[in-house]
Amino acid sequence: MNPLPFVVGAYAVILGGMAGYAVLLWRRMAAARRALRDADSTRDPE
Amino acid sequence: MRTRTLGWVALVAVVAATLNSLVGVPADLNQGDAQRVMYIHVPSAWLAYLSFGVTALAGIGWLWKRDLRFDWLAVASAEIGVMFTAFTLLAGAMWGRPVWGVFYQWDDPRILSTTILLTLYSGYLLLRRMTDDPIRRANRAAVVGFIAALDIPIVHFSVEWWRSIHQVATFGSPARILHPAAPGAFVIALLSMLGAFTIAWIYLMIRRYQLAALEARIDEAARRGTLAAARAAAEAGVPEVVPRAGEAIR
Repeated sequence: MNPLPFVVGAYAVILGGMAGYAVLLWRRMAAARRALRDADSTRDPE
Repeated sequence: MRTRTLGWVALVAVVAATLNSLVGVPADLNQGDAQRVMYIHVPSAWLAYLSFGVTALAGIGWLWKRDLRFDWLAVASAEIGVMFTAFTLLAGAMWGRPVWGVFYQWDDPRILSTTILLTLYSGYLLLRRMTDDPIRRANRAAVVGFIAALDIPIVHFSVEWWRSIHQVATFGSPARILHPAAPGAFVIALLSMLGAFTIAWIYLMIRRYQLAALEARIDEAARRGTLAAARAAAEAGVPEVVPRAGEAIR
């Protein structure tokens, strides 16, 4: 059995998964900062 | 060092270590190219252990100091640990099929206890979503995170305690670290991937912790907003709308 497809598949999923998670975190942080700005701009001064 | 710089360092380190492990190191005499999967399987397993260890210690830190920053650290490391545990099982399956002839072996103690570890911490993340109260959430998570961490030594020592098709740890004792049963090029490739993955883990941990801190501020702002709206409604004579139990306060 040729192991190369398994090797390439494992590397692609793991390295791609780490990169994808980093991008997901970056997008979640951007969304959270937007939500905080919106909350601050509509906050009751009291 | 700025976090962004650390991210670039992690990227360069992972790319360099990956190129070395894929094309720089020769194939293993017995396993051929399949052995290259070990260079990502072992670092993933190490980071899974590290993540859940941090989750357990952060939970203890919360129970002791009552500082919610410990809880942010716990959720950050648990989420990242679940990812690396899934990577460990996936890489193991990708190595097992060409070498053992099977993707997964239910009666192997190492594989089964790792699957249980993944299930426990997936449950931990689900448990955290069951309440909006940050104090209650941190209390429950700290207890479950500590109990789940008891599976880490079971995973690690399962190959020593029970008969298994898994090989024993390559660096399990000081003697093996000084005199590894593998050629130097293989050991250097493995150690460089361990280092690169650990730098990437530190970067992801910092980012996930920062996100947890932001989410806590959003929850706090939402609570303040709800309180202000209720106060304004009470002053205007509008009947107060009380959220039902379990309803998110937004």
